[in-house]
Amino acid sequence: MELTITKNATCTFCGCVCDDIELHSDTERIVETKRACILGESWFRNHTAERLYPDALIDGEPATVDEAVEEAAEYLYNAHMPLVYGLSNVTCETQREAVALAEMIGGVVDSHTSL
Amino acid sequence: MGGKVTCTLGEVKNRADLIIYWGGNPAECHPRHFTKYTLTQKGKFIPKGRKDRTMILVDIRETPSAKAADIFLQVRPNKDFEVLSALRALVKGQRIDAARAAETGLTVEQLQDFADRMKQARFGVLFFGMGLSMTRGKHMNSAALLSLAAELNAFTKFVAMPMRGHGNVTGGDVIMRWTTGYPFGVNLSRGYPRFNPGEFSTVDLLLRGDNDAALILGADPGATMPQPAIDHLARIPTITLDPKVTHTSRLSRVHITTAATGISAPGTVYRMDEIPLPLRPPLKSPYPTDEEVVRRIYKAVAKKPMWLPLLEPTAKG
Ligand code: SF4
Repeated sequence: MELTITKNATCTFCGCVCDDIELHSDTERIVETKRACILGESWFRNHTAERLYPDALIDGEPATVDEAVEEAAEYLYNAHMPLVYGLSNVTCETQREAVALAEMIGGVVDSHTSL
Repeated sequence: MGGKVTCTLGEVKNRADLIIYWGGNPAECHPRHFTKYTLTQKGKFIPKGRKDRTMILVDIRETPSAKAADIFLQVRPNKDFEVLSALRALVKGQRIDAARAAETGLTVEQLQDFADRMKQARFGVLFFGMGLSMTRGKHMNSAALLSLAAELNAFTKFVAMPMRGHGNVTGGDVIMRWTTGYPFGVNLSRGYPRFNPGEFSTVDLLLRGDNDAALILGADPGATMPQPAIDHLARIPTITLDPKVTHTSRLSRVHITTAATGISAPGTVYRMDEIPLPLRPPLKSPYPTDEEVVRRIYKAVAKKPMWLPLLEPTAKG
């Protein structure tokens, strides 16, 4: 099968954020990495585009994303002091949305930095 | 960390002739830091690369990074603040007590040599890791190191930079600073941002049992936090967004699988020197991105009546 080559891909595994990585991939997985270190290489190989997990889980049972979104909104809306936490392994665009959500639900937003 | 004297990694590459790592182990934790940004690269004002640079490593034990260093200084555990204070005194030409210095694990001569090298450098940089900022003294250690870097600018050009860890933690600081004015632990429960580390930081909130719901994304506290904090997350409705079913997902009421950042989700992340870089994800995920899911939750909440009593505009205006 023809491999797709992605030049100057960005590794987000550590704070170096190397943006000179070459990736060779098929439709489901990355099969080769160039210039990444061992940590970066295992990071790229560890994630695939396979459907390994259910779209969503509610109380441990498979559910649709729509149902899970409604359920999540209900919990967050009803809470007096909800917490939005994490934000390290997501994009800045996601972080911005998370801050907006935290503001609307009147909660605390926090990241790994506070540890 | 407002007010820090810092620069980009590009400037380090092109200018730094003295590179100090303090309480960090880049050889194992940031493997390409030496080769891509700091030590071995030739720079505009560093024509001979490694030969033009001196590297000093300060740590409590000899890690694999020591092999790369010209000078390794082993300090006693929890004595970083004392070493930094001694250096700040020496840089200003003050004398320090030999017995007190010995308590840190270093001799006065070693400290004096360290201070002299910093003052004589053309462009020095202090990289500091969690071995400094997460041990006894914590942010006071970081503050002492940042002050040392700032004070050295009376003699030469000197900067400091934290060695940030996984993923986009730096972006988190930047985005929260931009949107709320504070870098982390921001409490919006009164409708405006309040900042008080120790009160509004996650572990403290969870240990006190202050939160009655949680949304976790881009992290797995269920694997990393102190057990009582994890227990509280399990007690309250927790919602987790993650590309995998994680420890946190298993204690959550709701888990939503998302595309993996940089692998199958596009966007921007910040490098440790606060340079934003675009992602080039090679794969297409069957799952939605975190960004999309958070936005959908936002929209679902927005349909409900606002919790915050808004002031009615008065007739007088
Ligand atoms: S390739 Fe290695 S050094 Fe570069 S960002 Fe990835 S993990 Fe860090």
